[in-house]
Amino acid sequence: MDESQLITGIQQGDRKAFQILVETYQRMVVNTCLAIVHNKADAEDLAQDVFLEIFRTAGNFRGDSKISTWLYRIATNRSLNFIRNNKRKRFFQSIEETFTGGRNRANEISENNGDQPDRNITDQQRSDLLHRAIDRLPEKQRAAFTLNKYEELPYQQIAEIMEISLASVESLIHRAKKNLQEQLLDCYKKKCV
Amino acid sequence: MVSYIKSNKMKHKSIHKELIFYLDNELPNERRIIVEKHLEGCADCRSFLVFIQESMQVIVKEKNPEASPFFFTRLSARLEEKPEYQAQGQWVRLAQPVFFSILLTIGIYGGLQLGSNASSEKMNQATLSSVQLLNDFESEPIESFLLDEL
Repeated sequence: MDESQLITGIQQGDRKAFQILVETYQRMVVNTCLAIVHNKADAEDLAQDVFLEIFRTAGNFRGDSKISTWLYRIATNRSLNFIRNNKRKRFFQSIEETFTGGRNRANEISENNGDQPDRNITDQQRSDLLHRAIDRLPEKQRAAFTLNKYEELPYQQIAEIMEISLASVESLIHRAKKNLQEQLLDCYKKKCV
Repeated sequence: MVSYIKSNKMKHKSIHKELIFYLDNELPNERRIIVEKHLEGCADCRSFLVFIQESMQVIVKEKNPEASPFFFTRLSARLEEKPEYQAQGQWVRLAQPVFFSILLTIGIYGGLQLGSNASSEKMNQATLSSVQLLNDFESEPIESFLLDEL
């Protein structure tokens, strides 16, 4: 089945075509979400939301771009929205913590660390450091950087996904690397790992 | 001596700024040679290069996570659930603003009614007539009180 047949099938509500699409792109979508949210369970939930959206809005797909471009766009937007909502939640949680003495946050941290218990502490620290540095990047820089580094996408495809010019992608990734390098240097000087 | 230390510090700074691009082979050839020469003689910059390299390795390790075997099963289950949930969501989305608008209208109307009753002339007259105004001076003038004292 080629891309247009897949989309036609999904538009007609064909579950088999949808299953093929999911199996083909599942890893790619989960990886994209994971690069932004840094938590496997959240990334899988988001990936499912992405496929549900694809199934429901397949009728709107004009076929101007590749399916992967469409999937990347939805995955990136959903992941960034998730981060935004999480920030809001954390703000209200921090208010709540002032009254509950920070018990909830402690639970959340221990849950997150429980994802990969076999990882040694330096690996975990290094991973946390990079995630924090990526999270501090402005949204567009973060999206462009993660698509380039985690998905190894060429600048031209990132430009199509983000619907911006090639020069803008170059500039975004350049600034993202500069920002990351500054944060890593800061940490290196403070010997935080 | 001071100028040498200063220029060396400047060199460190400019080299530090370029290391992330050096790792990605994004430096022009000339610049790459300068960085490599500096790295040969500078232990601190080499150490920072290793630090960046190890940090960026996290990305390589995290790439391509194992696919969950139940992904499509869970997705299918959600696909079945969703329309009902969505219909419920639409109903709630419509009912909520309507309910709060009605509540707000009742509140405003009630407030206006209370306000108009409180400030109406009839009410004022009724209140005034029911209150016996007490005039202390009439019943007991202060002059007579002072005279009594004398």
